[in-house]
Amino acid sequence: MFFLQQCLIGLTNGALVALVALGYTMVYGIIGLINFAHGDLIMLGACLALTLVGALGIAAGGGAATWAGVAALVLLCGLFCGGLNVAVDRIVYKPLRNAPKLAPLVSAIGVSFIFMNAGLFWLGPADRSFPDLVPSTNLLAHDGLQFTLKDLLVVLVVVPLMVGLSLLVRTTRLGKAMRAVSQDPVAAALVGVDVDRVIAATFFIGGFLGGAASVIYGLYINTIGFQMGFQNGLYAFTAAVLGGIGSIPGAVLGGLVIGLVRALSSAYVGERWTGAIVFAILIVILVFRPEGLLGRRTREKV
Amino acid sequence: MAILEVRDLSAGYGPIRALDGVSIDVGEGETVAIIGANGAGKTTLLMAIVGVVPARSGSVAFQGRPITGLPTHVVSRMGIGHAPEGRRIFPRLSVRENLELGGFTQTDRQALKRDIDEACGMFPVLGERMAQMGGTLSGGEQQMLALARALVGRPKLLLLDEPSLGLAPLIVERIFDVIGSLAKRGISVVLVEQNARAALRLADRGYVLETGRVTLTGPGAELAHDRRVREAYLGEG
Repeated sequence: MFFLQQCLIGLTNGALVALVALGYTMVYGIIGLINFAHGDLIMLGACLALTLVGALGIAAGGGAATWAGVAALVLLCGLFCGGLNVAVDRIVYKPLRNAPKLAPLVSAIGVSFIFMNAGLFWLGPADRSFPDLVPSTNLLAHDGLQFTLKDLLVVLVVVPLMVGLSLLVRTTRLGKAMRAVSQDPVAAALVGVDVDRVIAATFFIGGFLGGAASVIYGLYINTIGFQMGFQNGLYAFTAAVLGGIGSIPGAVLGGLVIGLVRALSSAYVGERWTGAIVFAILIVILVFRPEGLLGRRTREKV
Repeated sequence: MAILEVRDLSAGYGPIRALDGVSIDVGEGETVAIIGANGAGKTTLLMAIVGVVPARSGSVAFQGRPITGLPTHVVSRMGIGHAPEGRRIFPRLSVRENLELGGFTQTDRQALKRDIDEACGMFPVLGERMAQMGGTLSGGEQQMLALARALVGRPKLLLLDEPSLGLAPLIVERIFDVIGSLAKRGISVVLVEQNARAALRLADRGYVLETGRVTLTGPGAELAHDRRVREAYLGEG
C-alpha cells in the first residue's frame, strides 16, 4: 500500500514535470534550441498567479467560485507565459535564427537571468506561500491510500491539455505545418508555410502549457520563490532528454518516469539522494539509448 | 508576356559570389532549361528566385509584379512551385501528409483531395504508398513525391532542380514524360539539369550558366547542336 501511494504521488508530480518538459521539447523540436529560460518563464507565471489570486479575490472554499477562479488563473497565466515566450522569441531568438547554435543558447541563459531578476522584484527574495485554494481532501475511502482533491486538480488540468496538444499536432493544419517546419523549414516555406508564424505558434503553445503548469505548481506545492525556475526547469529538461528531446510523447513519458523515480527514491532511499539518483538514471539511459526513450534514431535515406 | 523576368540578379554566400548578374526570361507555358556544370550557380538561381537565398542586386518579377525580397512563403503562394535540390521531402511525414502540405494554402478540402488524386494519377506508385513515411521511399519515389508535392500546389511556374539526379534511366524517363506534359497544362517550367541532353530535348529554350553568368542562350534544339555545348555538356567533340 505504501508503494502504491508513492507511485500515485510520483505520477501526479510527474504529470506536472511533463507539462513543463513539453515546452522544452516543442521549442527544441522546431528550432533546435534548448530554451534555458523556460523554467524561469514558469516562475514568472507563478508570480502572476499569486498576484491574480489577490487581485481577483479568489478564495478557498471548494465551491464553484473557487473552481472558476482556478480555471481563470490557468487561462490567464497560460496566455501570459505564451505571450511572453512569443515576445522573447521575436526580440531575442529570431534575430539569431541563422547564427551559430551557441548564440541563441547563450542568449537563452541570459533571458533566464533577466526573468529571475524580474521574479526577484516581483516576489522579493524570500519564498512566498501560495494560497491553499484547493484542499487536500482525500477522495478515496481508504485510510492507507490517498488521492486528494489536489491530485485530481493536477490530472484535470494536465490530461486535457496533453490530449489537446496531441490532437493539435496530429490532426490540424497548424500541427502538420509544425511537423513540417521541424523537419525542413526551407522545404516548408517552399510549399507556402509561413515558418516564422509557425515558430511563434510553437513558442506560444509551449509557454501556455508552462503557464498552466505554474498555476498547478502553486496550488499543489503551495510555496513559490524566484529561484524555483532553475530546479524545476532542470528536472523538466531532464525529462525531455530522457524521453527523447523533440518527441512530444517522449516528454510525457520522461516526465512520468522522473516523477516516479523522485517519489520512490525519496521514500525508500532518502530525499537527499533523489537528485543524484535521477541524474544517474538519465546518464545510464543515455549511454544505452542516446536518442532517449522515444526519440528517433537518426537514420534517414539520402 | 513573360511570366518570370530575372534581371541582373546577383547572389551569394558570404564572400562567395554564386550568381553574377544573371538575366533570364520565361514565357507563359514555356519550358526553359538551365544547364551548366556543378557549381555554376544553377541551384542558387532557383533559390534566389524564391527568396531562400537573398538577392544582392538585380530584380525578379513574376507575372509583372516584383517579388525580389519577398519572403519565400509569399512567393510560393503567388504560384511558384519548387521541387528543390535533394528533393527535400518531409522524411517523417507520410506520403499523404507530404502531398497535403503541397496544397498547404488550399483551404477547400474537396479541391485538395482532387489535386492529390490527380498528382497520384501521374505517379501511381505514390498512391500505393500513401501511409508510408516519406523517408522510407526509394530515391526515385522521393523525386516523384517532390514533383507531385509541388504540383498539388497548382503552380503557374514550376522550378525543378535536377529531377534526374542519381535515378535509374527508366525512372528518369517517367519523370521527364511528366515534365514534358506540364506545358500542355499551362504550367511554365524552369528545368535545372546536369543531364543536358534530356533537358534540351524537352525545353523550348535554354540558358548555359558558367560560374554564375549566362554564357549562351537560345532555342533548345539550337543549343543542343551548338559546338561549345556539345563539347562541354554533351560529352562530344
